[in-house]
Amino acid sequence: MLELPQVATGLLAETLEKFIAEELRASGLAGYVVGLSGGVDSAVSAALAAAAVGRERVLALALPGPTSAPESIRDAQEVAETFGLRLEKVDLGASAELLAGTLGARGDRVRFGNLLARLRMVALFDRARTVPALVLGTSNKSEILLGYSTLFGDAAASVQPLGDVWKTHIFELARALGVPQTLVTKAPTADLWPGQTDAGELGFDYPTVDPVLFWHHEGGMGREELVAAGFPSALVDGALGAYRRNRFKWRPTVVARVSASCMNVDRILPRNPER
Amino acid sequence: MGRAAEQVIALAQIATCPGQLQHNLERHLEMVAQARRAGAHLVVFPELSLSGYLLAHGVLEHALRLDDARLAPLLEASREIALLVGLPLRESQGGISNAAVLLEGGEVRGVHRKLYLPTYGMFDEGRYFIPGPRLEPLVCSIGRFGVLICEDAWHLSTAVILAQSGVDALLVVAGGPTELDGGEEPAGSRRWHWIVGATAVTTVRPVFFANRCGWEEGVLFGGCSWAVDARGHDLASPAPPMTETLVVAPFSRTAAARTRTLIPIPYAERFDLWRASLERAGA
Repeated sequence: MLELPQVATGLLAETLEKFIAEELRASGLAGYVVGLSGGVDSAVSAALAAAAVGRERVLALALPGPTSAPESIRDAQEVAETFGLRLEKVDLGASAELLAGTLGARGDRVRFGNLLARLRMVALFDRARTVPALVLGTSNKSEILLGYSTLFGDAAASVQPLGDVWKTHIFELARALGVPQTLVTKAPTADLWPGQTDAGELGFDYPTVDPVLFWHHEGGMGREELVAAGFPSALVDGALGAYRRNRFKWRPTVVARVSASCMNVDRILPRNPER
Repeated sequence: MGRAAEQVIALAQIATCPGQLQHNLERHLEMVAQARRAGAHLVVFPELSLSGYLLAHGVLEHALRLDDARLAPLLEASREIALLVGLPLRESQGGISNAAVLLEGGEVRGVHRKLYLPTYGMFDEGRYFIPGPRLEPLVCSIGRFGVLICEDAWHLSTAVILAQSGVDALLVVAGGPTELDGGEEPAGSRRWHWIVGATAVTTVRPVFFANRCGWEEGVLFGGCSWAVDARGHDLASPAPPMTETLVVAPFSRTAAARTRTLIPIPYAERFDLWRASLERAGA
């Protein structure tokens, strides 16, 4: 069976730390704000940032909604304690309920989940403004490729250090960085409603789907080749379906080009000009 | 002869910032000062060292002419030490070249314009630059050098042509992006290690490889600047992949010439095969 290639975890961590440090230097801002969900991605992002720029320059926010699991807050606190980060709790429950009522989204758990994810984005960018800080993203490559994220919600950040790192490798990074074991072993969840898990929604877990995504996205193998290589057809169809269906999330905004100087088409420029 | 006749070449592995010319210029002058303290006669900077690599359309704004006042501090520095610097060069007839400029004695001694502009995968150079028209040695008081800019070195014919031009050594300057794999060094750095070593032992010339490090626009560059002699042995240990550093290496024209007397591979080049190949290709 084809596998996901190995990665040198130490070199990967060192590399990502340099990236996090450089982006902060280039921005001229004071630090990072990161939302700690109690999951492994945000724990790894926060740990890398603490090592890269110093824990005093990383502010962690716990952003529970009305149905967040109690263990999520506990796990977020454990991550903050492990890496010596200041943790502020911002309870979004009342705001989420109020806005969901206004919008008529209370009965629809997907709408409510998206709304909560976007409220977290609002809280993170608002708090970042006060520091002033960059918002540290926590999205990984697997969920980006599958589109398993909320546009302008958890997918929104100033920088995404883990955006090109497979979830399988994030588990390895987590172990190497000393992320608490409970976070490494618990089932990944967006925690947008009780009992939600990524695998329950997607139909497969990340260690299972990562090799399929790798050999399709990077290795250039089509559906028939993947099935011939031994991957179950239901897994391949599920993975490739999400990969195709949600590709619009990779580049969330399309600008209609009506001139010869359209940004990012005719004029691609570095993000950080000379100060 | 021997060690007394040796020169010293320094490789400035820096992390340039795209479009931040003043910042990059200051890094150059710091490295020049460091190279002078190390007794170097020539300091080699990576590809597009003054401007940064991923400028994209920013080259329109940041391209320089050779008489640009912003080069004055480097020209002044070149009175004490020769410099090879990378910049987007605004051509008088229009167009912008990806250039490596050799400065010495307060003057421009020569310019190499990148011949092969990668335009595939993550690369888009053909969109912003025009390709160089020729491949010739650059000469200064230190020696006669073949300069290759990054992708140029991936076309093995360039090194062969320069060897036939009688260069003393090859200066390979790169802004080499890299990815990570299971290896303990960046994958791109490993590939450069092979190219530098193979270029040295097949042309029987010392190769001085200056690569940049750091990040631009989310893209990682792999450092590992390195110098080898005409047998492929270290003249200096490879630099680490992610740290700004100055690599200092001895350079001896006479030692390389002695090696070519013992290992005369370049003199045996079969140009009849080249000619036949060119004729078949209709060139």
